[in-house]
Amino acid sequence: MTAVIEARGLTKRYGANRALDNVSFSVEPGRIVGLIGPNGAGKTSALKAILGLTPFDGELHVLGLDPRSQRDALMREVCFIADVAVLPRWLRVSQALEFCEGVHPRFDRAIAQDFLKKTDIRLNSRVRELSKGMVTQLHLALIMAIDARLLVLDEPTLGLDLLYRRKFYDTLVNDYYDKERTILLTTHQVEEVENLFTDVIFINHGHVALASSVEDLGTRYQQVTLSADAAPRGRALQPFYERELFGRVAMFFEGRTPAELGSLGELRTPSIADLFVAKMAGSST
Amino acid sequence: MNSTFGAAAAPELARPALPPAKPLAGTLFTLVRREFWEHRYLWLAPLVVEGLLLTLFAVLGHGHLNIRDEDFHGVQDVESAKVAAFTIVQWVATVPLWLVMFTTLSYYTLDCLYAERKDRSILFWKSLPVSDGLTVTSKLLTALVVVPLGIFALALVGDLLLSGIIGVRMATGNLPAVVAWSTLEWLRAEVTLLLIVVLAALWYAPVAGALMLISAAAQRSPFLWATVPLLVAPLLERIAIGSHHVWDFIRYRSDGIWHTLLEGADLQLVTHDSVRPLGSLLQTLNFGRAFTDTNLWLGVAATVLFVWLAVRVRRYRDDT
Repeated sequence: MTAVIEARGLTKRYGANRALDNVSFSVEPGRIVGLIGPNGAGKTSALKAILGLTPFDGELHVLGLDPRSQRDALMREVCFIADVAVLPRWLRVSQALEFCEGVHPRFDRAIAQDFLKKTDIRLNSRVRELSKGMVTQLHLALIMAIDARLLVLDEPTLGLDLLYRRKFYDTLVNDYYDKERTILLTTHQVEEVENLFTDVIFINHGHVALASSVEDLGTRYQQVTLSADAAPRGRALQPFYERELFGRVAMFFEGRTPAELGSLGELRTPSIADLFVAKMAGSST
Repeated sequence: MNSTFGAAAAPELARPALPPAKPLAGTLFTLVRREFWEHRYLWLAPLVVEGLLLTLFAVLGHGHLNIRDEDFHGVQDVESAKVAAFTIVQWVATVPLWLVMFTTLSYYTLDCLYAERKDRSILFWKSLPVSDGLTVTSKLLTALVVVPLGIFALALVGDLLLSGIIGVRMATGNLPAVVAWSTLEWLRAEVTLLLIVVLAALWYAPVAGALMLISAAAQRSPFLWATVPLLVAPLLERIAIGSHHVWDFIRYRSDGIWHTLLEGADLQLVTHDSVRPLGSLLQTLNFGRAFTDTNLWLGVAATVLFVWLAVRVRRYRDDT
């Protein structure tokens, strides 16, 4: 099946600075992909390129279309929540529904209204009267009602409290995601959503540091927690990152077998958050 | 042979077709409605002004209305003079609306592409399948077609209500019967006004286009970008080479078409022995020359250029 996103040699320059430097990756349909990187790593540049919001160099196809020249057609199939609270403050909830219905061929107003009924949002409220969490709920209601093939979320829950964040992702996974749609998501709160991802792409200094399905991570990367005196034996196997915790050492390995590591200490698959920290630390030294 | 058959029977690649875009007219209609949701002053201000005006006409003493029976002394055909006087009252009553339109549209064209960047809502609008070209076109359409025609319609309805108010007041003896109604003259006056509105929209189109370009491009304070160069450029020219071409151009662009329209026209509607209806201007104003004026259409061409640039800026600008 054709990839939903196919980037080859994607480069984004800001003056002499390269926010993305010859980046290649692909996203298959039906996946939930986490695009993870520190601030200024190039995440937002990548998303903007995918959404056709910014010029770039290199080759990029989204749903087979070129975001530079076919943006309008592309947006019939792509939804995005860019950052938080970009819904205009003067807009009424009912106007938001009417507008989407008026311009989007795949917007189903009934779905949005049903979703809103489950919230405290009233149809005649203006966005400025809603709390930040409610604005995000409203935006989610609009997105849910659009039958899109790709959903791009850039820090969609930034600044929301834990309850709203949970609700947001629960809705996304339970009510929106249907194994045919593809979701591309950036977030700082990796720990909270890592169970959601089917794939991750780590991006750092404009380069892809890692791109893998979550299943494959388990076979590629290992984390061993061992006692301080066992550390030299561990180091002999060349961990790419180690971290001391309560007198014990956590070591991260790539491409080792359980047979090699099992005798050292407690062996497990690293969490995405831990792996991210390890990878970022490893790549900056 | 087998392979040919096989190729023909091969299933299409499993890529669902792109949904067709919404019909253009419907999308444009929604976009224009959106403008009136966001910029509510576009319809609120004229309604309030017209409401105040009609209230004034309803309650003001006839001394304030400034037409008295004595004014018609020496007039030969008093009846047609009264009809004509009504068309002039009718026209004067619309002047506040044109001033409101001028003010609100100046503000609107300068704000419409800046506001969406300032509150970052442009990211929401751009998440929907509406092209930058269509969005900017909807704003231009709002400024040059929808609002002018809307205000013309409001003026028309206002004139009818005004006629009603004055008619009732005259019938009840509350006002002296100094004006009279003629449907034909009323229509001729409205046609004259409509032609002037259309001419104004065409003549000021490049100004609207330029303001929209500034609105799309200015990093901050589009108002300063729109006004300071108008003052500084003529001054610099004067200091540097002592000429005043820039200033002349600005002046010409602000009222040039009205000179063309009025040139040689007999505007003296009220003389000592007659009053001519407003509609009589249809014969004496140079509408033909004004509408075929080269500079008018050069301005329209410049509008297309400005708007095209504004679309490009909105499409490729990346500062959110």
